Amino acid sequence: MAALCKWRHRLKPAGFFQNAVRRQLSDNYDYDLLVIGGGSGGLACSKEAAQFGKKVAVLDYVESSPKGTKWGLGGTCVNVGCIPKKLMHQAALLGGAVKDAQKYGWRIPSPITHDWLTMAPAVQDYIRSLNWGHRVQLQDKKVKYLNLKGSLMDGHTVKAVSKTGKESVLTAGNIVIATGGRPKYPTHIPGSLEYGISSDDIFWLKESPGKTLVVGASYIALECAGFLTGIGLDASVMVRSIPLRGFDQQIACLVTDYMGSYGTKFHWKCSPSKVEKLETGRLLVSWTDLDSGKEDQDTFDTVLWAVGRAPETRALNLEKVGVKMNRETGKVCVSADEATSVPHIYAIGDIADGRPELTPTAIQAGKLLARRLFGKSSELMDYDCVPTTVFTPLEYGSVGLSEEEAVRRHGEDGIEVFHAFYKPLEFTVAERDASHCYIKMVCLREGARRILGFHFTGPNAGEVTQGFALAIKCGATYTQLMATVGIHPTSAEEIIKLHITKRSGLDPTVTGC
Amino acid sequence: MARQYEEVTVRGYDEFMKAVSQRKGKDVFAYFSGSKNEQGASWCPDCVKAEPIVRGELSYLPPGSVFIYCQVGERPYWKDPNNEFKKTLKLSGVPTLLRYGTPQKLVEEECFKKDLVRMMFTED
Repeated sequence: MAALCKWRHRLKPAGFFQNAVRRQLSDNYDYDLLVIGGGSGGLACSKEAAQFGKKVAVLDYVESSPKGTKWGLGGTCVNVGCIPKKLMHQAALLGGAVKDAQKYGWRIPSPITHDWLTMAPAVQDYIRSLNWGHRVQLQDKKVKYLNLKGSLMDGHTVKAVSKTGKESVLTAGNIVIATGGRPKYPTHIPGSLEYGISSDDIFWLKESPGKTLVVGASYIALECAGFLTGIGLDASVMVRSIPLRGFDQQIACLVTDYMGSYGTKFHWKCSPSKVEKLETGRLLVSWTDLDSGKEDQDTFDTVLWAVGRAPETRALNLEKVGVKMNRETGKVCVSADEATSVPHIYAIGDIADGRPELTPTAIQAGKLLARRLFGKSSELMDYDCVPTTVFTPLEYGSVGLSEEEAVRRHGEDGIEVFHAFYKPLEFTVAERDASHCYIKMVCLREGARRILGFHFTGPNAGEVTQGFALAIKCGATYTQLMATVGIHPTSAEEIIKLHITKRSGLDPTVTGC
Repeated sequence: MARQYEEVTVRGYDEFMKAVSQRKGKDVFAYFSGSKNEQGASWCPDCVKAEPIVRGELSYLPPGSVFIYCQVGERPYWKDPNNEFKKTLKLSGVPTLLRYGTPQKLVEEECFKKDLVRMMFTED
């Protein structure tokens, strides 16, 4: 049967390939594994497969953004996502810390100003060192790296095109699609493509973005607006409906309230109608207030679209090969073992339907897939209870269910919600407003009260949340939480000390020591 | 066969920086090694091991590029954490092979791998 499949594509017209068609014996592919996409998932999968002595290649190719931004190996996370985001968030936090430092006795000349031209190149240099690090790693682990744009020709064949248009054909026993996503542009808004930028561009700007309008309410929008405000720029966010869709909404509002009190301007329930360029070079944005119907306008230096991300499937030729996609999301349909509808073709990371758009899940899924394909493992990726953190100025860490989702699954009577407003000790001397620092633990109401969801807003939320992800994975209960001793003085200990329930109606504000 | 690259030999930080500043705009590759004594032996065993491997790949250097062979100094100088190579050039060990002005570098055992050396010389 396999031999029949091989003969079938040898009958294709010879003019189809630029190179001579190779005479392939059955099961004699160029590679055991071909990965399309050199991001978090693709790199992890390829390196793991190579450990088993398999012949592996990674095709990575970055199509420039509409503004012309391009980058090296490593995918979204390394180049235009997690890494530069966290570094710029850190730059913003340091600005706040310097202000706090004065209250702690440091003599700092006022006012403190921030220089984009110092920060951006430093961040970009670090990213370039990661690009290089990945190159060295792939080479070291004997994974072939090809800077070519791949598309499927059939279940075992990939067409690869170089930036100069030169085509080649590669065959593989297994193919992994890990091409991720790219920011969407609201092309129905006049001027959006010509004058706006996206998260693909913001970290690579050669000059400060200046007064910026961020359109969107996802974590990308809020994190960007957050660090722009933090480094002293005039930043506004335009939200069509709700912030952080999919996240616990009570917490989402705490996050945006904090941002508002720290200087980010919000235009709620507004939608941009057009973007025009003025003679001065600045951008004039017109928008509609969706409630009142009123029109309004303002000028900005930069307009950043953060209105969603689209899966990179267009150029892959998936329909022709029969790889099923979810019509609504445009992502590739996968089963629990990351398999697509075509045998020997898999999909991991942001491109896969129903998966979290996170680096650690893509990496883990990639590794486990490689182990199942070549290492005789049968372990599937567990996508349950994946912790995340939103790195807005007030960070938000969570793992498990939002309160809304817990109510949906167990009913309001089936859950017990413990909560507390706390004040980080460091905020006291610094005279910082802690009214948005909050912890919420959603538990089952019966028995030992298993923890269903954990939510924490405050400094270092990511560091605080990581350990609790393990606890929840182990099925931790409120009873066990009560038996755990806190570390003092920390913000995290307030989680251990949770005892006020929403049901009681009592004031959840933590009082002194 | 004419060499496509320029080879420069320098000793010490000042000489290195002078050689670099005289070649602005060029693609400069630098190999840092523990200094050799009068017998031509270096105090750095890894440098001794890596040098023939690096030299073996020099033919892959891009045309018009520069290869600077830099002897950093004696062992006590190198061990001082405040020496200029460590402080300013941020070198962490010898041998180091780097492409000046880029994050591309190979440190210590990485220099033993000729395919990594070749990758750096041929990479875009």
